[in-house]
Amino acid sequence: MANTEAALKEAMTSIEGTVGVALVDYTSGMALGTAGGSKELDLTVAAAGNTDVVRAKVRTMELLGLNEDIEDILITLDSQYHLIRLLKGRGNNGLFLYLALDKGRANLAMARHQLKKIENELEV
Amino acid sequence: MTTATLVPPPPPLSPMLARLADERATGALLRDHGTLYLDDGQVVHAESPAAPGLEVLLDGRLPQEGWQEAFDLAGPDGRVGRYLVDSGRLADGELELAHLGVLFDAAYFVLGPGGGPTRFRHGVAHWMGPVRPVPTRVLARECLRRRELLDALWPYPETDDSPVVRADTDFPYPVTRRQQDVLDLADGVRTPADIARLLGRAAFHTLVDVRRLAAVGAVATPQETPVPAPVALPQWMPQVTEDPDVALLRRLRNALEAL
Repeated sequence: MANTEAALKEAMTSIEGTVGVALVDYTSGMALGTAGGSKELDLTVAAAGNTDVVRAKVRTMELLGLNEDIEDILITLDSQYHLIRLLKGRGNNGLFLYLALDKGRANLAMARHQLKKIENELEV
Repeated sequence: MTTATLVPPPPPLSPMLARLADERATGALLRDHGTLYLDDGQVVHAESPAAPGLEVLLDGRLPQEGWQEAFDLAGPDGRVGRYLVDSGRLADGELELAHLGVLFDAAYFVLGPGGGPTRFRHGVAHWMGPVRPVPTRVLARECLRRRELLDALWPYPETDDSPVVRADTDFPYPVTRRQQDVLDLADGVRTPADIARLLGRAAFHTLVDVRRLAAVGAVATPQETPVPAPVALPQWMPQVTEDPDVALLRRLRNALEAL
């Protein structure tokens, strides 16, 4: 069990091609922790904006009557992958991990697997 | 290619908070809506009557005896947070995330507008002890962002502290499960803060849900200030003159001069 900072740093170093990672509260849109990022990728802005993506999907599923949980959401850009993984903690306050990957260097299957591992480390 | 970046204006950090951060002060900042605790110029804890505390948010995860034990053994040294982790009651990240949630939630109300005068008591520490200190600037920026978020959702701040009243209609509003929980507890008496406590959720999150519900019309938006009922004039007033106020003032003046 790691603290937030350690878990996010681990994501940065262990997931190949990671550009930035953030742990986000999806009701308020606040980033509880970030690692990486750049001038082109402001993680606090990305955190707040992606809450709308998650909310829209949650709502759509509820409207469709799909009684399922979202494991992750993948957004593919020209040069990046953005991966959103919803945390299913005991205290489930609605948190998600947001990972931006360099498309040229990343292995998507591996990244998803490792993000799952980091989720387990963050929770108990 | 270079990207032009717009530099946002600096967040309106209260001058007092900025000075305390510069001085690396330790103590308690007291306002009408709660208290911020500073340690070495950084915010380490916040509490507000409007926001549920850690014991509410961790209800079901940490039993009352767990709190009591930690409070008895580590309270006097101001290390309750550390103790909860060291004794295996809570995991490191779990405490950190829950505590950050509580800190930002309470601080939103403490630093909110109309919070009255600010006092600072040097040297006062909270029994929780530092978990993850937050720089004052980060906190002030987040409080501002939250206020803007609420106003972007539905610009009626009265919604935040008025009783939540369900709209009187059978129209099926598209609400999420979390919003439905809020709606189920809206009895026309409970405020968003009351509902947050009952649900064991952060108060700000409930404000977000209530503003969204008000925006779709599922709950009523309260009037800014209730218009006072017109006061009935005494029977004799209209007989004296068309303009009762002038007549009244004249009579008062005359009476005063006669003294």
